[in-house]
Amino acid sequence: MRAGALMWFVVRRLLHAVPLLFCVVVLNFVLIAATPGDPVTILVGDFPAPPGYVEQVKREFGLDQPVYVQLVRYLGHVLTGDLGYSFANRQPVSTLILGRLAATLELTLTALLLASLLGIALGMLAARWRGSWLDSGVQGIASTGYSIPDFWLGQLLILVFSIWLGWLPSQGNMSVRGAPEGIAGFLDHLRYLLLPALALSFRYLALIARITRAAMLEVLSADFILAARSRGASETSVMITHALRNAAAPVITVIGYNLGFILAGSALIETVFGWPGIGRLLFDSISRRDYPVMMAILLMVSVTVVLANLATDILHRAIDPRGGDR
Amino acid sequence: MTRIDKLAFGRRQALGALAFAGLALRPGLGHAAGGNGTVVAAIDNDPPTLNPGISTDYATGEIAAKIYESLVWLDVESTPQPSLATSWEAAPDGRTYSFKLRQGVTWHDGKPFTAADVKFTFEEVLGKLHPRMAAVLKSLGAVIETPDDHTAVFRLQRGYAPFLVQMTVFDAPILPKHLFEGTNIPAAPASQAPVGTGPFKFQEWNRGANIRLTRNENYWDKPKPYLAEVVFQIVPQAANRSAGLQTGELDVVSDFYMPKPDLPRLMRDASLQNRQGINIPAIWFAMFNTKSPVFAQKEARQAVAMAVDRPRLVQQVMRGIARPGVGAFGDGFKWLVNADVSYDKKYPLDAAKAKALLEKAGYDGSPIRMVFDAARPQLRSEAQIIRENLRAIGMDVQLEPLERSVMLDRVFAKREFDITLQSFFSAGDPAIGYTRLYATTTSGTNNNASGYSNPKVDELLAEAATAPDRDRRAALYKELQVILNEDLPSLVLFDEETVNVATKRVSGLWSSVDARDRWAGVRIQGN
Repeated sequence: MRAGALMWFVVRRLLHAVPLLFCVVVLNFVLIAATPGDPVTILVGDFPAPPGYVEQVKREFGLDQPVYVQLVRYLGHVLTGDLGYSFANRQPVSTLILGRLAATLELTLTALLLASLLGIALGMLAARWRGSWLDSGVQGIASTGYSIPDFWLGQLLILVFSIWLGWLPSQGNMSVRGAPEGIAGFLDHLRYLLLPALALSFRYLALIARITRAAMLEVLSADFILAARSRGASETSVMITHALRNAAAPVITVIGYNLGFILAGSALIETVFGWPGIGRLLFDSISRRDYPVMMAILLMVSVTVVLANLATDILHRAIDPRGGDR
Repeated sequence: MTRIDKLAFGRRQALGALAFAGLALRPGLGHAAGGNGTVVAAIDNDPPTLNPGISTDYATGEIAAKIYESLVWLDVESTPQPSLATSWEAAPDGRTYSFKLRQGVTWHDGKPFTAADVKFTFEEVLGKLHPRMAAVLKSLGAVIETPDDHTAVFRLQRGYAPFLVQMTVFDAPILPKHLFEGTNIPAAPASQAPVGTGPFKFQEWNRGANIRLTRNENYWDKPKPYLAEVVFQIVPQAANRSAGLQTGELDVVSDFYMPKPDLPRLMRDASLQNRQGINIPAIWFAMFNTKSPVFAQKEARQAVAMAVDRPRLVQQVMRGIARPGVGAFGDGFKWLVNADVSYDKKYPLDAAKAKALLEKAGYDGSPIRMVFDAARPQLRSEAQIIRENLRAIGMDVQLEPLERSVMLDRVFAKREFDITLQSFFSAGDPAIGYTRLYATTTSGTNNNASGYSNPKVDELLAEAATAPDRDRRAALYKELQVILNEDLPSLVLFDEETVNVATKRVSGLWSSVDARDRWAGVRIQGN
């Protein structure tokens, strides 16, 4: 696709995204405001709040204004880059989110990488040796893996690897007793990352394996593959250079499409493994009615999904050899 | 010296040197001089604040109890012991308390602790913002005088029997005046990064992950504390807290964070220790909406009392770790139990009698809404068993598990429920935590939402709070039970028994009735 046309395409898509994001913000704000409960009672604990205390805190957070006033003020702030102040954590929202974002990105990107690489590899191997026990195995994983809830798998992994075998830790993202520094520290951190990333990736691994296998099988029966083989191309070259490149389109679509779900699924995995990420922050901020944090995360997730879809589309057009101007 | 003496001397010296070397090489010397080891405790979430002067949140109290101190602490008999106050005198009329304060105590930032901190804390923080203390201090008209830097005198307009018992770090933590004066207290930096006088100093708060405390090198009770660090790990999933004890990632988990079904298994585990049954009393109850058509009649409430199988609730919901309810204030405070009017006598389990009572009350078969906090698994199990019990007497109960914020709004603000399942913490005395269950109330959360209002009850409750001697108070509470066990605005289901669990490597825990308190004496082997 020519560079000029590509750029136009990107700009058009981004412009379409603006009203979408606006709707996301307004709709979520209204939904949250309509839900009963307020942040102050959560702050206070299990005894009645002293009178005057509730009013004082509400005034401090601007919660005594009518909803539309709060919404307009919020929109104004967001447009200037001010995401607000977290009631529950008493910190600017941006500081809070940036601190937790790294943990979630680490988890979701690792899960995505595991799911993609292993999924594609398994799918390719299954297609290559169609009908073998390997193929049956991969098909088995593909069908059951997709049905296994990730939080259940997480608990199962904890049971086997932390409790029974004692090989890996069950909670958190770092050692709390004398954390090592440098390389040893990094390796130690990986021990904490392994189980949650595995639990989060498994469903998508299964899905990607299935899609890859199906797409590869379809492509492998095409004429140009026969031509390549008869030209003497090695099997590896046939599989990767010829077949995979053509089969990649649906696989990439699935990966890009599922990024949003992996991001959402991270909330459950973060809860199971005590991983200090954005997913859990969203869940906590909902129970505490911490509106600024909720809105900021929802906004961030929406932006991410829009960008991910856009990236998927671009990648689609870039790698598809049959592409051209569309 | 003979040759033999020389040898003996030499051997002893050598042994001494070896022993000394062995001690020096002992593994696990902490980073802080004199501090040894890290204890990891579990909490379920970031606390809303680290200032115990403005919140009664459990995690807030758990962490703050290591950083802050109060005038006294309660031993396992709930008897006040000296902490920041070395001695005290109460006037015979119970209206004046004079505390001698400990000298040589410094805040973690080095400033000296004085009576001015006490006066400021009570007048500006607790008296205005503390959920339990504010109302108490206001109703007592408390005024604090500080004749010198190490004396604090409380002058009250009325006596208040639980006054000393309430002077714990959970209800009356002493805060540093120099860090809070003139600030918006909930928003002050010291509410997020606390500075206290206690055995451990705040080090860092990794939101979502953990909160770390380090040893206070200048603690007044030398050579304590014995630990180098205390870490509170945030473990959101309940099952992983018990698992953490078994994998060694966690050393201590309080009863509050322990899922009850896991307790019997953990209590049998040879690598763990536990303390059962010593706790500040708390009661779990079903509160009726006496303004609803069904429960406006006392007979309907009594019918429920005869239909609900309380021993079964204890067995199945709390795995036997609780005591069935006996009356309006439970039996956590033995001195006030009125056995003559106990539930066992008045409301034995009898479905037939219950049905008859229900008919007498004119129940028309309309559905009963049972509201409770969906996040508490024990309440879910309770609700299911009670629904079954009531179905047997012809009552149609609909369960409404609600998210906590929504539940608080529905029950306490809007009073839209027929029965609600709750639990109240006594905070050390029935006058502190149980009065709110029966006193006439028109607003606020976590109090009497039943609509029950009895002037005689209000009068007795007020007197029982101020009467100075235990016998008089017992008589008053017994009289209250005669009325309340009959009127039943709330049915007490059971008295809570806590089981706190820790690995055997930890010692020195649980010297206070509240498992969160008094960690200066805690040690850990091995790391």
